[in-house]
Amino acid sequence: MPMIPLSELLIWSLAGVLFGSLISWIPGFHIFNIMALLVAVFGVGELMPVQAFPFFAIGAIVAYAYVSAISSVYFSVADESAVFLLFPTQRYLLLGRGHEAVLLYLIGAVAGTLFLVLGALFIFPRILPPIYQATSPYITYFLVAIVLFMFMSEWPKEGDRGKTPAERLWMAWRQILGGILVFFLSGILGFIVMNTNLLPTTSAYTRLTPMFIGFFGMSWVLLNILSNPPMLEQVPDDRVETNVYNTLKASFGGALGGTIAAVYPIITGGMGALVAGHMTSQRGDDAFIISQGVNRVIYYVGAFTLLFLPQLRLTRGAAAWLVSSIYTPKSYAEYLAAIGVILLSAGISFIFTYYISKFLARSFNVVHIKKLSYLVAVTLVVISYVLTGPMGIAVLLVSTAIGMMAAAFNTRRSYCLGGLILPVLISMTGHTGYFMGLLGLG
Amino acid sequence: MRGFTHYISGLAAATFFAALVGDLRLGILIPVIAAAAAYFPDFVDFKFGKFLARRDYEIDPAPWDEKKHYAPKLVKISELSEGNRYQFFALRGKVKEIVAKGSREVSYRILREDGSEETVTEEYRGIVFTLDDGTGEITVEAFGDDYEFFEEEFGTIEEGKDILVFGYVEVDDDGSLRLVVSDAPHPQGIADTVAKAIEEAYREGERIVKIHNIRLPGDVYRRFMIHLDPPRREVRVEMGPIVTPGGVAIGGDVPEYRKYGVAKVSVPFIKTYPKPTRVDSFSGPEIAFRRAEFKGKTVVKDRFLPWHHGFSHSLTMGIIIGLAVFAFFKLIGYEHATALALASMIGQWLHVFEDQLGFMGSNLFPPLTKDVIPGFKLGESGSGLTNFSTAWLMIALMIWNFNRFTEPRPIPIGDVRLLLYLIWPSIIGFGIAIVRSFRLRREISELMDYYTNLEAFEEMEEVGGI
Repeated sequence: MPMIPLSELLIWSLAGVLFGSLISWIPGFHIFNIMALLVAVFGVGELMPVQAFPFFAIGAIVAYAYVSAISSVYFSVADESAVFLLFPTQRYLLLGRGHEAVLLYLIGAVAGTLFLVLGALFIFPRILPPIYQATSPYITYFLVAIVLFMFMSEWPKEGDRGKTPAERLWMAWRQILGGILVFFLSGILGFIVMNTNLLPTTSAYTRLTPMFIGFFGMSWVLLNILSNPPMLEQVPDDRVETNVYNTLKASFGGALGGTIAAVYPIITGGMGALVAGHMTSQRGDDAFIISQGVNRVIYYVGAFTLLFLPQLRLTRGAAAWLVSSIYTPKSYAEYLAAIGVILLSAGISFIFTYYISKFLARSFNVVHIKKLSYLVAVTLVVISYVLTGPMGIAVLLVSTAIGMMAAAFNTRRSYCLGGLILPVLISMTGHTGYFMGLLGLG
Repeated sequence: MRGFTHYISGLAAATFFAALVGDLRLGILIPVIAAAAAYFPDFVDFKFGKFLARRDYEIDPAPWDEKKHYAPKLVKISELSEGNRYQFFALRGKVKEIVAKGSREVSYRILREDGSEETVTEEYRGIVFTLDDGTGEITVEAFGDDYEFFEEEFGTIEEGKDILVFGYVEVDDDGSLRLVVSDAPHPQGIADTVAKAIEEAYREGERIVKIHNIRLPGDVYRRFMIHLDPPRREVRVEMGPIVTPGGVAIGGDVPEYRKYGVAKVSVPFIKTYPKPTRVDSFSGPEIAFRRAEFKGKTVVKDRFLPWHHGFSHSLTMGIIIGLAVFAFFKLIGYEHATALALASMIGQWLHVFEDQLGFMGSNLFPPLTKDVIPGFKLGESGSGLTNFSTAWLMIALMIWNFNRFTEPRPIPIGDVRLLLYLIWPSIIGFGIAIVRSFRLRREISELMDYYTNLEAFEEMEEVGGI
């Protein structure tokens, strides 16, 4: 199948950017879910040429990597009675500096785009294939190692103020044990969803969608509804407090974490950031937000770009799986075109993000986040139903409860990734049958 | 070094054993135990030791509100006592009587850059009134910058007005309590308790002080610095700005008149780490004060985090881990138990060695040795450069081992050449760290001359300077 003409390619890429920008600022929405919905409802062949779909997708993913900064800064719960530790972006919002947080993120996103484009042009085609070949048989080793490290390195946020040693120990360990519980409950749910016919077989590529909406999207939105975050006045000025050293160090750390997550399956951006953050010993809210920008661009966009890399052609991430089920790019010309599209989409997404942030900073307290959250919650239920039917709603409810448990235990939300990691590990080590029997499913 | 640096060293240690690499290729993931063994010393210290450690004194400048997990704690007046002096609380009640209002002179001590003190007298506007919350009455005083803020917040204070007021507790000469309006505790309480602990340690042998941090609404922290000044025999505490968990100051400097706390210490003491103790985010530190001999004199030495870098960070512990891993995995029939035990032991030893590159050092061979061997001072434990260089080196070694234990080799070049291709970023990183460490060591040496100077105080005494 030939590559589509450049003019068409640009039109579909721009359509992708527009589509991604329109939905990515909404809290709880993930570009992968919305793309899956799009494919499920409209199909691809009739709506657009199949060769255009990867370019549409890359435009949408770049837009998501940029514009989703809006939801994580402006629409993320920041009520301390609901969460113990605030994310740096939430702290910026509480200080009236939400727009500054977005600008820091954008600095990181631009750095990430440059890293990615330069890497894709000069480094990935030469370095990645041999390194990947040498290390790919040990992916389960890395995966188990990261999960074990997450458990072992959990920082007990409470415990210091217990009256007796026993009380202090219990207060510290209930958080650690809570994290382990969340991981295994997520894992069991993921195992059931992946290995049984609980969800219709027709929703092959989207059967994990309601589970992830519950773990991350719905639980986030519910926290917004249940808590009462203050809608504080924001400063819309274009100023950031950081320095060149912090920016470079954060960019390097973010690029490292993003690359690890993009190349190796199942390892997510958060896990990659955890590893890279320790490796480069990062400190400071400004550095954290910048590194998030770099990390997310490389993780989401970089992972998808690997699908275009002719010598490697790795399918990484739900979007890549969805696209590859319809059309897989084959030529080096398509790879180069994809890099060009990344640059173009990044420029447009930057402008979108900047102006949305500016607008929100000026009118932040006009509509309370609760009202928006109700609307999003209903939409997430509808998406789950359309993609996976009534049982998808049941999965959504259970996974939402597990996602809320992570918040209740003050533990890492990323433990919910057990829903993906545990069943994959069980499968990779050849124990699926044993666990089916153990759960009475075999 | 950071936790992941140690952990990845264990992961790398396992890949030096062909049998373990072979197992990994088959999906047998047991070799990950070597990484757990490498992280084990910090796991034991930070998940158990920290919470089980003894505390002789607990300094809590700003107790938390139990529900919200930050300061100030909202208390009833009847709950306050002399023991709460200098602590930061919130009170809610009705203004009962305005006792005084207007300008008056206030005297306070400030510390100059060189550590000397100066008494400053200034005229400030202020207000004194009594507050009643139904459980009792307390005198509330606001003056200076705090009064300006107070007036801005509450407008005119009138009798019968309901207010929520923050401040630190002061005890008057007659034993009655007063709440001084402020946005931080007074540092004098911290200085007094640390000084008392040092004096008691000199008499009793050891005192461990737990110092809690000050967490404020918005997940931000009030930083404070504790300076132990051996030549002047003083403990000085400086209340600093509000900082984020990452340590970035976001304002909230306290006025000069309640910024410093100074307490004299009547016994000789030295400091083993040439920097003030900074308390801000995450959790406050524990400091042990121990009686020791130094240059033929009995002194008190400080030990930061006394539960850290103990037996868990010794090479002896590595041997025990190796034996335990071998016994367990042999028992369950793991074919490569010996290789796994060796990898686990080496992983733990790498942890000890990596920490030895920093400042704290460890007692390496207990029970044969008793004292901590000081670190090589290549860089601080949080140094991005040494952490990255070490972690990168370990990643490089893993790739190198995976390649040489696989046939046909995925990267078909010679072992030495591949190793050099992989590790050059680490070589550069360590090179820069070594060059930097010369300057660091020189600075530390100069500072240590000051922090272990016992003569200065005695000379000052002799010439009547004190």
